[in-house]
Amino acid sequence: MPEDLEELSLLETLDHLLDRGVVIAGDAVISIGDVDLLYLGLNIVLANVDAIIRTGQK
Amino acid sequence: MKWVVIGAHLLRDDIDTPAEPIAAGDLFLSGLPIPDEQPLGDRDLLLRVARVRAALLDRATFIAVRYGFAINTHEEAAAKCSPHLARWRENLERHRLEVEMTLKVVAAERVEPPHRRDFTSGGDYLKALHAATKAVQVDPKFREDAERLLANGRWQHRDNQSLELAALVARESVEKVKYEAIALKERFPHVPFLLSGPWPLEVFGE
Amino acid sequence: MFPSSCQDHGRWRCLVSNGIIANDAERLREELAFTDSMIPSRIAADPEIVENGLAKLVLSIIELIRRLLEKQALRRMDAGNLSEEEIERLGTALMKLEEKMNELKGTFGLSDADLNLKLGPVKMWE
Repeated sequence: MPEDLEELSLLETLDHLLDRGVVIAGDAVISIGDVDLLYLGLNIVLANVDAIIRTGQK
Repeated sequence: MKWVVIGAHLLRDDIDTPAEPIAAGDLFLSGLPIPDEQPLGDRDLLLRVARVRAALLDRATFIAVRYGFAINTHEEAAAKCSPHLARWRENLERHRLEVEMTLKVVAAERVEPPHRRDFTSGGDYLKALHAATKAVQVDPKFREDAERLLANGRWQHRDNQSLELAALVARESVEKVKYEAIALKERFPHVPFLLSGPWPLEVFGE
Repeated sequence: MFPSSCQDHGRWRCLVSNGIIANDAERLREELAFTDSMIPSRIAADPEIVENGLAKLVLSIIELIRRLLEKQALRRMDAGNLSEEEIERLGTALMKLEEKMNELKGTFGLSDADLNLKLGPVKMWE
């Protein structure tokens, strides 16, 4: 199979893995390179973005 | 030891190694066991999970769980899923013999997103942002043909330069759909599109 | 892979390569926004991040949060289950985040290219 089609196929597979599906807990993990760095309770983030921004301004 | 949850399945037997069945109500989640210190953002792990997902789909249709949901105990999984179980069961029974397929198509023109500075009201800004994604269009003739190829599908506006049609297809019709997509290529040589599948229930999983 | 009802099954197989049918693979690759284009392979610590320090790290995280918020907001707009008040609040939050990002980028003298905002090496899992 031609190379660009193969790459496209891989990207498409990963896209379906990473950007679809039911969200169960509504939480998020942020990875940098290989390290799972931050665990966010996403509901908390959505509800309190204002507070987070204000805190950041202090 | 922790598990990356891959999907929600109707029968215990729908899940095979290397995935492990995790009981949730009367359904079963599939979990891939990984070491505690294994980061989720690892390419090799992603590819491995993608492969296991495909193998599980071969056995039976399931509801895809978004990547990143990792659990430390089986009980944790069951507890977090409990609000969804009834809906999932209904879905899994109804679509037992179907899989999902998607058709991505590049829009004729990229739609310029609104600029924050043009707005004073947050609500107006968000509505304009939403309208911009909705404004993405494709050739109506192509759209018509695509809807014939993937009947009863749902169009998704995921960004400001492409559209995506997701539909459920009977398992035995997958090859036929792919074959017809080749004819679609010939009818519309100037429309870049990508047909892929089969996939587990993703868009239709909710 | 799946039982096929067509007798030309073998003929179809050679036409269908690796599961996807793509028209103009090159253009698709350029134009479609795939979720992943830069998931890194095993590296202990990204040297670029270590070099450029904490600012880059923090800004990348804020940008990811903003993007995630934007996506979630748009999804809920699609579903149509937001009140006017919620739309106002979410929209304002997005605007403020973007404003903050620009301010901080200016402060640290970092551009979008510096933050490698095209998907990585920082990644967020939902």
